[in-house]
Amino acid sequence: MSVRQALLGLLAGGARHGYELRAAYEGRLVPQGRLNIGQVYTTLERLERDGLVQHERVVGTDGHGRDRKVYALTPEGHAELHTWLAEPSPVRLDLRNEVFLKIVLARRIEGVDARGVVDRERRAAFERLHEVTQARARAEDASLEDDLLLDLAALRLQAFLKWLDHCEEKLS
Amino acid sequence: MRQAKGAAVDVVGLTKVFGEGETRVEALRGIDMTIAPGEFVAVMGASGSGKSTLLHVIGGLEPPTDGDVRIDGRSLRELNDDELTVLRRRRIGFVFQAFNLLQVLTAAENVALPLVIDGVAESEAHARARAALDRVALADRSAHLPGELSGGEQQRVAIARAVVTNPVLLLVDEPTGNLDSRTGEKVMALLRSLADDHGQTVLMVTHDAGDAAMADRLARLRDGVVADEQSLPAGRDAHELLGEDLS
Repeated sequence: MSVRQALLGLLAGGARHGYELRAAYEGRLVPQGRLNIGQVYTTLERLERDGLVQHERVVGTDGHGRDRKVYALTPEGHAELHTWLAEPSPVRLDLRNEVFLKIVLARRIEGVDARGVVDRERRAAFERLHEVTQARARAEDASLEDDLLLDLAALRLQAFLKWLDHCEEKLS
Repeated sequence: MRQAKGAAVDVVGLTKVFGEGETRVEALRGIDMTIAPGEFVAVMGASGSGKSTLLHVIGGLEPPTDGDVRIDGRSLRELNDDELTVLRRRRIGFVFQAFNLLQVLTAAENVALPLVIDGVAESEAHARARAALDRVALADRSAHLPGELSGGEQQRVAIARAVVTNPVLLLVDEPTGNLDSRTGEKVMALLRSLADDHGQTVLMVTHDAGDAAMADRLARLRDGVVADEQSLPAGRDAHELLGEDLS
C-alpha cells in the first residue's frame, strides 16, 4: 500500500495538515493501516521536494497557539495522482502462503498427515468466514468502504477454502 | 436407542441404500446428528457425498434403509403414510433451489397453500400468509404472480410458504443456487434472521462455503458419513473486524 499515493489522493479533496491526513488514512482509507505522524511528515517532505505538494504556514491554529503546516497538491501532484489512478496496479500472485508450506512439509515428514493439516486449516478458515459473513449480514448501515472490504475478505476466504478442497482431492 | 432430549431433530445410525447388486449405492452409511431447537446447521459435501439424500430422508421424502429420524421426538419409522404426509405438511418446511412455486397462484396464494390443503379456514390461511410474507419483507408483493417477481423475491416467497405452518424444522436445499451472489446473500441473511429472531431450526444443504458459513454449525459429509463437524463461534461486528490488525 503506497502511503505516498494515499496522501496525494487525500489532498485531492482539499488542503489538510498532517494530523488530519493521518486520521483520514487510518479511519477510512486503510482500515488496518497504522501510520505514525513521523511517516506522514517524512512522506509530505519528499512529496514537497518532488514538487507534488506545497505547504502554507497557518499561524496559531494547532490548538496551542502554534503554527501549522497545511499541505495542498500542486498541478504536478494532480498529474501524478491521475497517472497512478489510470494505470493498473501490479497484479501480485501472493504465493507466499504458510498453509502451502505446512502441506508440502507435512507430506515429507513421517508421522504427519497432510490431510489433517488441510482439515484444521479449513476449520479455521470457516470460523473466519463465519465472522465475516455474519458481520456483513448485520452491517446494514455499513459505509460503502466497509462493505467493499468485507466483500474482499469474504471472497478471499471462499477462494482459500476452495483451494483447500483442491488440496484435499489431490492429496488423496 | 439413544435419543437426545428436547432435540428438534435427532438422526440415529441412519443409512440409505439405493439399488441392488451391481447398481447398489450406499448413499448414507451411518449418520448420527442432533439439532437443537433454534439451531442453524449447514451440511456441506461434494456431489455424491450423500447430502441431498440426507435432507430427503430427514424430510420424510425417502424412507431410511436403517436407523431412524426423530422430528420433535416423533420417530418417522413409526408413522404410516398418512401420518408422514401430515408431518411433512405441518411440521417441516421445505425450501428448494428452484423455488417450486405454482405459477398460476399469487405470492399470497402460494404461501397460504399448505394451510388451505391442511383444511385451515381460508380467511385464517390468508391472514397467516400475509404475516409470513411480512416476515420475509414481501407484504407489498402478495398479489403478484411468481413470474412477476425476481428470483430472490420468488425464493423469499418460497421461504414464507415454508414457515407459514410454523414448522419444527426448515429444510433448505441449495437456496442460492439459482440466484446471483448479492441476491443470494439477502436470502441467506433472511434464513439467518429466521433462526435468530424467530427461533426457527434450520438444516441447510449447500456446496457454497459462503452460505455454509452463515450457520451455527457445520457438518461435512464424505462418502455417506459425517467426516467433520464444527461449531462456528459468534462473530464480531464489522467495525471490530475491519479495524483488526491482520499483518
